Amino acid sequence: MNLESFVLLSLVLFTLGLYAVMARRNLIAILIGIELMLNAASLNFMAFNRFLPVEDPTVGQLFVLFIIGLAAAEVAIALSIILVVYRERKRIDVDDITELKG
Amino acid sequence: MSHANLAVATLLAPLIAFFVALVFFRKKHDVAAGIAILGGLVSLVGSVWLLLDPAPAPELITAPWFEVGGIKLAFGALLDGRTLLMGAVVGLITMCVLVYSLGYMKHDPGKGRFFAFLGLFEWAMLSFSYAPNLLQGFIFWELVGLASFLLIGFWYEKPSAVAAAKKAFIMTRIGDVGMFVGLILLFGDVHTLDILEIGNIFAAPGLPEGVSAGRVELLAGLLFLGVMGKSAQFPLHTWLPDAMEGPTPVSALLHSATMVAAGVFLFARFHELFLDAPTMMTIILAIAVFTALISSTMAMAANDMKKILAFSSISQLGFMIIGLAAGSLFAGLFHLMTHALFKALLFLTAGAYIHEFGTNDIVAIGRAGGRKMRVTTLGLFAGGFALAGVPIFAGFWSKEVILGALHGPGAEVFLIGAYAAAFMTAYYTFRMIFLIVLPNTDSKAIVEEPAGSQGGHGPADHGHAHGAPKAPGTMRAPILVLSIGAVIAGLPFFGDAVAGLLGRPHEAHHAAITEMILPVAIVLAGVALAWLDFGGKKAPQRGIVAWFPPLERALKNRWYIDAFYRKTIIRFVNAFAALMYGAETRGFDGAGDALGRGTMKVGVSTAKSHTGRLPIFVGTAVAVLAIVSLSIALG
Repeated sequence: MNLESFVLLSLVLFTLGLYAVMARRNLIAILIGIELMLNAASLNFMAFNRFLPVEDPTVGQLFVLFIIGLAAAEVAIALSIILVVYRERKRIDVDDITELKG
Repeated sequence: MSHANLAVATLLAPLIAFFVALVFFRKKHDVAAGIAILGGLVSLVGSVWLLLDPAPAPELITAPWFEVGGIKLAFGALLDGRTLLMGAVVGLITMCVLVYSLGYMKHDPGKGRFFAFLGLFEWAMLSFSYAPNLLQGFIFWELVGLASFLLIGFWYEKPSAVAAAKKAFIMTRIGDVGMFVGLILLFGDVHTLDILEIGNIFAAPGLPEGVSAGRVELLAGLLFLGVMGKSAQFPLHTWLPDAMEGPTPVSALLHSATMVAAGVFLFARFHELFLDAPTMMTIILAIAVFTALISSTMAMAANDMKKILAFSSISQLGFMIIGLAAGSLFAGLFHLMTHALFKALLFLTAGAYIHEFGTNDIVAIGRAGGRKMRVTTLGLFAGGFALAGVPIFAGFWSKEVILGALHGPGAEVFLIGAYAAAFMTAYYTFRMIFLIVLPNTDSKAIVEEPAGSQGGHGPADHGHAHGAPKAPGTMRAPILVLSIGAVIAGLPFFGDAVAGLLGRPHEAHHAAITEMILPVAIVLAGVALAWLDFGGKKAPQRGIVAWFPPLERALKNRWYIDAFYRKTIIRFVNAFAALMYGAETRGFDGAGDALGRGTMKVGVSTAKSHTGRLPIFVGTAVAVLAIVSLSIALG
């Protein structure tokens, strides 16, 4: 195992997440995509933390812990928004939600 | 009991009564009244006990509040001659008014609130009187004003009562601004808030260090502005006659021991400072004499009993300030004490008549049979004789001391003014007494307000189908107590005691019989003129004033001072307010609206570039991010 393989895996995860966010129409799928990107970032942090000579390894770990906490909070909020959208329109298609259009 | 415990009980009892009565028993009227009376009783016992058992030196009983910049602030009580006297007067008068209100306010729908407010009033006034430092003094000075506002406007569904309450509040506030500036300057000069210390600083011979003579004059002038507002001296006196809109027990309290007395007490409290400002003292003396004169003349033409008493309050306050400004602490405070007793008494008798006959008009009261209310009429005699200054009654002695203090070079013109005011006082007092007890339906006296016309706001159930009209027992008892006070409180025995308490035994002026001839003659002349005009069988009951219709009109309109204020100051203030309103609605609000409209326009125009489609937002964000990071990476 080396640094490159982890970074590669992280890249794949991130791209998948980005694709999901941009291409999918289902709000849940978009949410999953966001989670994938967050995990890719976490993986990157841990990989660099492990394989590069760093002064204080706890810094990277702390970042990851914060990302996990943040992701959990974000999911809670996003899911409740999705739930409200569903109740309003009986659909969770992102194409329906265009009120901000000028 | 130690003095500390007594002082704490005296100060806290009315507060607790106010709080409990207002919060828990506002709708349970009799419970609220009972609590207020209990609180008043505790304060009465406490303040009288403290008065009868004075410590040899001034005592300071305080609890620390906070400390800032080396200035320690404390709440508590300063017990010296002046505060002890004032506290006992407040305690006694409030107690009488509380008991009296049981009868007077018996059926009022706001009875509970009324008694709670009386507790607030007593608490504020006691805490002001006993204040050991400027801050406590000022806070409670304002609370006294607030309590007056609440009680004058007690019948808040009456527009005139609301207007009167506002007027009282605003007029006194005008004076308070000056006083507040004065207090701040004073603190800057002496670096202490302690009232006793300030007194000592100014009591020392010469001026205090670093304070110029002009500065002391300025301080005295600013502080006197506050006195002017509270104690209704010209030109800030116009609120006081209107304050009659409140229930009569409130008038009794307001005009004797509390609100208006606060101003005089402030003057007395800082008497050492004022004595260092001789020029300002002369100006104050002139203002006080002028006030006493104009208000006595106004009382000569009024038919409304409460208005007559209100004008007499203004002129008697003028007398107190004359005494203080003439340099005698004892004269001013002694008259404050006797006046509190007889003026409260007169208002209580007025209230008993009004309660019975439903009118304020003295002619109507007389014709409806006012003299048949025996106890009330006895109170009217005792209070009226004291007010007029008939010998051996309370007002005679205290007025005598004031006139005695006024002797001296340069004081002749003031002395003549004071004698003239005393003459008119005797005249209008006996005009009132004669019109009530010697009614003459054939006379030319004009009824301005027939009996029963005010039955609406007063309590109106009279259960006496037989016999003479009679006030309820709760109203007669305070009248009797105060009648005794109005007769004996001025006797030299009490005068000497008060002078000793104040530490000014030499000011208790014992006039020789020959010196008393002039004041007595002047009072008797006033009474005689009143007899010719109103008393005798053939008396026209119109008075000398009616010989000069323009003069009578001027007096009925209070020398047009109110009209003058309305036409000038009030009109100017209203115009200024209208201008500011325009600036506010069109200027500031207009600018705000324009800003809002502009923002919305910008929003609408930029919103066109928004498709509302999420993938495009995200794509744009990623693209920008990519460009930024690439440019950073490539340097």
